[in-house]
Amino acid sequence: MARVREAALGLALVAPPIAILLLLIILPAIQALTFSLGLVPSENVTFSSGQHLVRSDIPTLEVYRQLLASPFVIDDLRLTLSVTVLSVIFVAIVGYILALYVRFGNGWLPRIVRSLYLIPMFVPVVIASYAAVTFYVDRGFLASLFWHLGLGYTSPAYKPAGIVITQVWYNIPFAVLMLGSGLDGIEQELIDSAHDVGAGFFSVLWRIILPLNLVPLLIVLTFTFIGVIGSFTIPFLIGPNAPQMIGVAIQAYFSNYNQPQPAVAMAVIVFAIAALAGVLYVWATSRSNRHAVTL
Amino acid sequence: MGVSLTTRRAFIVCTIRGSLALGATALLSACGAGTGTPAPTTPPAAAGATPAAAPTTTGAPTAAAPAAAATTGPATVATGDINLYVGGDVNIRDLWSKELLPAYKKVKPDVSFNMIFDEHALAEQAVFDRLAAAKQAGKPSGVDLWEATGRLQIGGEAGLIQKLSTKEIPNLDKVPKDAFDRFGGYGVPYRASSVVLAYNSAEVKEPPKTLDALLNWIKSNDGKFTYNPPDKGGSGGNFVTRVLEIGIPEDQLRFFQTQYDESKEVLWEKGWAILKELHPHIYNNGFYPPGNIPVLQTLGKGAISMAPVWSDQSLSYLAQKLLPPEVKLLQIDPPFAGSAAYLGIPTDSQHKETLYEFLNWLLTPEPQLIIVNRINGYPGLDWKYMPAEVQQKYADIAKAYSFSFSPKFDTDRNKLWYEKVVGTPPPTPTS
Repeated sequence: MARVREAALGLALVAPPIAILLLLIILPAIQALTFSLGLVPSENVTFSSGQHLVRSDIPTLEVYRQLLASPFVIDDLRLTLSVTVLSVIFVAIVGYILALYVRFGNGWLPRIVRSLYLIPMFVPVVIASYAAVTFYVDRGFLASLFWHLGLGYTSPAYKPAGIVITQVWYNIPFAVLMLGSGLDGIEQELIDSAHDVGAGFFSVLWRIILPLNLVPLLIVLTFTFIGVIGSFTIPFLIGPNAPQMIGVAIQAYFSNYNQPQPAVAMAVIVFAIAALAGVLYVWATSRSNRHAVTL
Repeated sequence: MGVSLTTRRAFIVCTIRGSLALGATALLSACGAGTGTPAPTTPPAAAGATPAAAPTTTGAPTAAAPAAAATTGPATVATGDINLYVGGDVNIRDLWSKELLPAYKKVKPDVSFNMIFDEHALAEQAVFDRLAAAKQAGKPSGVDLWEATGRLQIGGEAGLIQKLSTKEIPNLDKVPKDAFDRFGGYGVPYRASSVVLAYNSAEVKEPPKTLDALLNWIKSNDGKFTYNPPDKGGSGGNFVTRVLEIGIPEDQLRFFQTQYDESKEVLWEKGWAILKELHPHIYNNGFYPPGNIPVLQTLGKGAISMAPVWSDQSLSYLAQKLLPPEVKLLQIDPPFAGSAAYLGIPTDSQHKETLYEFLNWLLTPEPQLIIVNRINGYPGLDWKYMPAEVQQKYADIAKAYSFSFSPKFDTDRNKLWYEKVVGTPPPTPTS
């Protein structure tokens, strides 16, 4: 009897978040999915007043076929994936170096770095993007600095490179926090004993630190990937006119072109890619947990 | 120490794992929510100067109507006041509350207005719904004077808005006929703005005065001209429209301004070819700053020496010294598009006679001058009825303007611009 009451209480406690999840996220997501398959909901004016709708009584992939036949959308997707992959690689490398420095460095400089690397976390993304634009743009801060030094300058602003630089800057705190807390979990004795038997820095890094710190690295890779691929503000403010990253293209299709259907279909594609990354992550972490030393 | 760190880490991992599915799903549903455009997507600069251009396509949530009625309800109690519904940026609010209404108070001390201000004109649909609901219920709407554009005509044709003529408001014959007819004569165009050409007179001694001359100038002065993408602000948008109109026969222009038919867009091909040809000559090897204001800033920094800009924004920038004083404005021939703001009277208003008198006063030089001086707007009156010194001051831009495309043509234009002008399609085009 007590068990039933406990179960009921548990259900009552989880009901509000589940209801919010259902009403605000899952149901709209399902409607978006069916809309992208040609089923236009007549009661949703935002959807049904869109231009160039594909209407069908049975689900059809026509919207996706049209999208993927457009060389411009392919260009957008290509840019999105390359910016995302590059950002992830740079975030991992820079983040790892910073995390190692903060964990193993001695003296006052690592202590300063320890608080400095967190700063981007407290800067709103729109401010960060504007700051990046004014810093990197032609006739911006960096350009005038180079000019005073008598050096040439090619601005990365309004180019894919500008997006990658700003994404790396913005994602570093999370990466270092994640990797650093993983490094903190590695026992100092392991490293000391490796040193005792004559292992150098790189062999300790390769044989002890990297394998033991694999899960945090996977988290950083996955979440940076998902964050960058769906990003809007940074590419909107510092990206090129065309091709656009998919987040910017989705917004343009949705409101500036009044074509919500392809916008929703693109969102579904991004969702599928992000979900793929999520599956890889879950598979990898559950595998490593089974033979886990860490966690 | 070690324990607490592990716990913290386990917590972070747990939290993150939990939010994985949630975050990814949110990404998808962000597009499916269908409650309008999220805030950051609004082109920041366009809102002020572009009068709401898409009256029929903005699917404002119907839930907003009762909400708006509730907040404005207490203000509409029958005190004999005239309820004035206007919307826009802060400059428009100040124009009404600090200038126009006090000025009329001096003329007619016994007429008092009650202004209901709608910031950024976001609740225009809500006012429309209110008028429609009041008519259906057979009750007074409480709206006496309403500033809007396309919705005035839609409302007028549904019997919600009073049709106006020189019989009620004699000064309407001093208003440019095109502007008055634009929305079927259901509103008084009392102020306006348009896109004009801004140029740096220190670098450009003989500015182009016609569209052809402008296009030639761009081609022979590499990197000295730019405009914003048409979906990011009206100044670039109306430049693109002007060029697209090159391929549209004179007798079809009205269709493009008022109706919609996708098959007619083949007439744009000539314009797209010209814009593509300009592309390599645009600033920074073909870069288009993302908005009306970014274009003004590029001009202000001296990176370019010519651009299409909004008249009111650039005049205000000049007044604030955000543009160097060498920057001058002129209207080319044929002119860039512009638009007016209209005031309409709902058919159920109890104050029609008073309002006719007020609107007639609004179309006299004194209040019109306030508009010119206060917000750098164009007068609603034809320029020739304005004082000579104003005509002189604005001589280069005080000309008629053209009209932009209808909302649906505009959205198609936005998308096609990306594909035809800045996109790089492969040599063999597909479908």
